[in-house]
Amino acid sequence: MAKKGKKEVPAMSTSSLPDIVFMLLFFFMAATTMRDTDPLVTVSMPEAHEITELDKKGLVNIWIGQPLQRGEGDALKIQLNDAICEVSDIQDLVHDASAKKGMALSQMLINLRVDKTATVGKLTDVKQELRRAEAYSISYAAKTRVH
Amino acid sequence: MAKTKRAAGEINSSSMADIAFLLLIFFLVTTTMDVDSGMKRTLPPIADNEQQQDDVELKERNVLMVNVSKEGRIMVGTEEYMPADLNRRGDHSRMSREVLNFLADLDRSEKKSTEVEPTINCEISQGVVSLKADNETKYNIYLQVQDELTHAFNVYRDLISVQAYGKPFEELNEIQAGNIRKAVPVKVSEAEPNDRTK
Repeated sequence: MAKKGKKEVPAMSTSSLPDIVFMLLFFFMAATTMRDTDPLVTVSMPEAHEITELDKKGLVNIWIGQPLQRGEGDALKIQLNDAICEVSDIQDLVHDASAKKGMALSQMLINLRVDKTATVGKLTDVKQELRRAEAYSISYAAKTRVH
Repeated sequence: MAKTKRAAGEINSSSMADIAFLLLIFFLVTTTMDVDSGMKRTLPPIADNEQQQDDVELKERNVLMVNVSKEGRIMVGTEEYMPADLNRRGDHSRMSREVLNFLADLDRSEKKSTEVEPTINCEISQGVVSLKADNETKYNIYLQVQDELTHAFNVYRDLISVQAYGKPFEELNEIQAGNIRKAVPVKVSEAEPNDRTK
């Protein structure tokens, strides 16, 4: 019998696909860090020039922003750890966070992620609570300003 | 005749890619890439009663009052600035230049000889910036003012660094940078709320 008229195209080799994917995997493992808390509020960050990178170790985030969940109203809410809280809860929650991390409050840095539309009054309330909790190291979170 | 040796069957590796993809997707979902960045400040301890008031009383010439109104007008000492004055033209904004003058000008804030390193002494300003803002002031403006204040202190650090080590702050090694940071702290005092009502 004669040969087939049509030549079959050989299947593309996929043997290097795992290598490529592993490479991507290692890149992401090295370049990213674990998400520790899920944000419950959205914060549109202000921009600033004179900011420094903060050490993740001993960092506690306090968000002040629009609640993500509908029905919470338009007022800006405070989020610490994984829950939305009131100003009066901050002292206890900050102490909890320091106990959880096993670090003294003086070694911790409280990162204030405040929405740019928030008022200074709201911020001052939070700062007063932090002073009462004896957490004195704070930072104002901001994005790098380009111009 | 039968073969004595059988070739070991190869492990099918076609599912390796699937496993790797699964891991990849897991890491994509559970991790974030953003780095936390911000402007560091230290809050003052709460003063018990009025006994500590004397300690913090400063000479008038060493205090620069910065007031931010709810409309965003900024008073630095006796001069008034608008939000537009926070924008940088060239290296400095109008406002940060004023703060820098306050720190660096010999006639304005008091200079005191400070030890940067055991063998190096510099005349360093004793100036403190006292920042007050209305409760209704927008945080955006407030942070921009803070930004410009930090900028003024950073430029002042640069000046001292050149005096002490003969090179700008950025070129110093870690120990030298630490010395300068200690000798020239960012002295921005954020007023207490009860001060604001006055």
